[in-house]
Amino acid sequence: MFAVAKPLRARSVVHLNIADFAVAVERMVDRGLEGRPVIIAQERAARATVHDMSEEAYQCGIRKSMPLKDALRCCRDAAVRPPHPDRYERAMRDVFREVAGFSPLTEPGEIDGHFFIDVSGTSRLFGPSVDVAWRMYQKIRKSLGLAPIWSVAPNKLVSKVASRLVKPVGEYVVGEGEENAFLSPLSVHLLPGMEDQDLRQLNDFNISSVKQVADLDFEQLEVVFGKRAGFIFDTVRGIDDTPVAPAGQQPDKIIASRVFGEDTGEVETMEGAVYLLVEKIGDKLRRRRKAAKSLSIMIDYIDGLRCFRNLSVCPPSANDIILFESARRLLYMAWTRRVRVRCIRLTCRKPVHHQPQLTLFGREKKEERSDAVIAAVDDIRRRFGSGAVCMGRSFGK
Amino acid sequence: MTLPEPMPDRACRIRVGTSGYSYTEWMEAGFYPPGTPGGKMLPYYAGIFSVTELNYTWYQIPKAESIARMCEAAGPEFMFAAKLTRTMTHEIDPDGWPGQVGRFRDGIAPLVQERRLAAILVQLPPFFDRCEKNRRYLAALLDRLRPLPVAVEFRHKSWATEKVYEGLAARGAALAAVDAPQLPDLFPPTDVVTSPEFFYIRFHGRNAAGWRSGNMQNQFDYDYTEPELKQWIKARILSMSLRAKRGFIFFNNHVRAQAPANARTMIDLLCSAGLEVETPGGGRHTG
Repeated sequence: MFAVAKPLRARSVVHLNIADFAVAVERMVDRGLEGRPVIIAQERAARATVHDMSEEAYQCGIRKSMPLKDALRCCRDAAVRPPHPDRYERAMRDVFREVAGFSPLTEPGEIDGHFFIDVSGTSRLFGPSVDVAWRMYQKIRKSLGLAPIWSVAPNKLVSKVASRLVKPVGEYVVGEGEENAFLSPLSVHLLPGMEDQDLRQLNDFNISSVKQVADLDFEQLEVVFGKRAGFIFDTVRGIDDTPVAPAGQQPDKIIASRVFGEDTGEVETMEGAVYLLVEKIGDKLRRRRKAAKSLSIMIDYIDGLRCFRNLSVCPPSANDIILFESARRLLYMAWTRRVRVRCIRLTCRKPVHHQPQLTLFGREKKEERSDAVIAAVDDIRRRFGSGAVCMGRSFGK
Repeated sequence: MTLPEPMPDRACRIRVGTSGYSYTEWMEAGFYPPGTPGGKMLPYYAGIFSVTELNYTWYQIPKAESIARMCEAAGPEFMFAAKLTRTMTHEIDPDGWPGQVGRFRDGIAPLVQERRLAAILVQLPPFFDRCEKNRRYLAALLDRLRPLPVAVEFRHKSWATEKVYEGLAARGAALAAVDAPQLPDLFPPTDVVTSPEFFYIRFHGRNAAGWRSGNMQNQFDYDYTEPELKQWIKARILSMSLRAKRGFIFFNNHVRAQAPANARTMIDLLCSAGLEVETPGGGRHTG
């Protein structure tokens, strides 16, 4: 039987979610956008797609990643604004400042308006967690004019589902011990961390609600989901011991992404793009004297399907040429369909300290040469700019 | 409409409890046994007190499933008062509030069906003074909540007039009597009973320094002394109990579990004063 790990101490996690974050920030800047359907997209790109949209636009049928042309056909009077990542980053910092005083365990998401705050054990200072969450909401609304959805629950998983339920406005409190009853009637699609493959398999068994999955025991789940059975077993029961990362100690990762102006299915273009992403990650790793121990890739196909794959890099490396070998393998692990691709994202999670430990029989000449090439490229770029020299593979990409 | 007359021949049944019960700090303060999980707090609490005031319903409109689960956990005799959600008292949505009243009523339906609803507490904020607009709103709100039992707590002294009491009596609503710090503009302590069905008292503590701090830990940090509680019984509760069939008394000074300690003392003092107090298991105690 699968053992259920129980946390030693009751936790109380607040989840703040500023719905349609990019639109909410644009509305802070331009109050004329209030109440209007708004689309965030690169209007000038030939095959621009919707990056984010307001609730009004959503109600008209507009969805993320939809071609802008089609979106505007759904809603002709929608205002289109280009994405401003710098504004969104600033807004994230502002919100963080408002809430960080309540708990040192405050974890912002990736410039998406999401925040987890672990307020366990703060009640003697600030009062009941539900009141703390409401005060956070009040502070953010008063000082920034943003109105986040807020939820309070015993862990990150349940608090995230709770705020998904009340989107685009509202609040939800799930008490300790209520996790199971809260999740039971919901659709499995609302559970964070469920992958497309999991959902397809559940659909094949005609299973759609959390309760139906929770009725299966661990052995039954293992037959279908293999290694993922443990995760699914815990998730449908609302069990999640993932800690809220302390402020300033978010999980270290380096991300590089590329959105194709013209969707592509060409091998050369894809490989060239991946090499450019590897160069970006490699440059950051070398500047921080770190090395990648693992890489993950995300591919967005034009039909909306998204695919993730991970691969470990052994031994850890910060050399673009070595990293590219892994990245190319990853690309072909994820790029398995004859459908054009819109976006690629490469992520290096938890880079490790670079340890140039000598191997028992010395390094191969090839590796030494590639290190020298990369060092030379870095030197040239530092002196003459990032575009001064490039690999043939990524030339013109 | 006149206010209820004294009925000395009929005994008033009183229940005493606290405003909220789910406080982790009550474990450290010794009220709950160490390690009591959140889900086990209500059954434990219901073994000591016969009523509680649900405060979380002020933050979000309650959900019927979760209220039904609470009813089951607390046992068949236990009663609940539910605070009306802030969007109908403090952050009023001028167009949306009637719909919210409907959703609130749906949420507490299990309490109504099982006859476990002590009252809906309409706690109005200090800035809600007695002006034409607010009077009209309150009248419309009380009409929408009919025929459910309602207690109205004012935090502005402008409402302390005979006309207001008569208006509440006409709508069958109880005036919530409060004990709070003696600060300017706050509604004064009173023994006025506006409903013959029940009276409703809330003890907030007398922490004048912390009252407007915006932090509940400062606002409700107070420990009542026995003489203070005796004085309340002598000056108000005895006369209030003559004019209503039931009484509900709540302690809101939750910090360091002072509320349950004071509530227990109050039960003893009420019994000593010859009043009928309903305690868990359907037991009634009189002096």
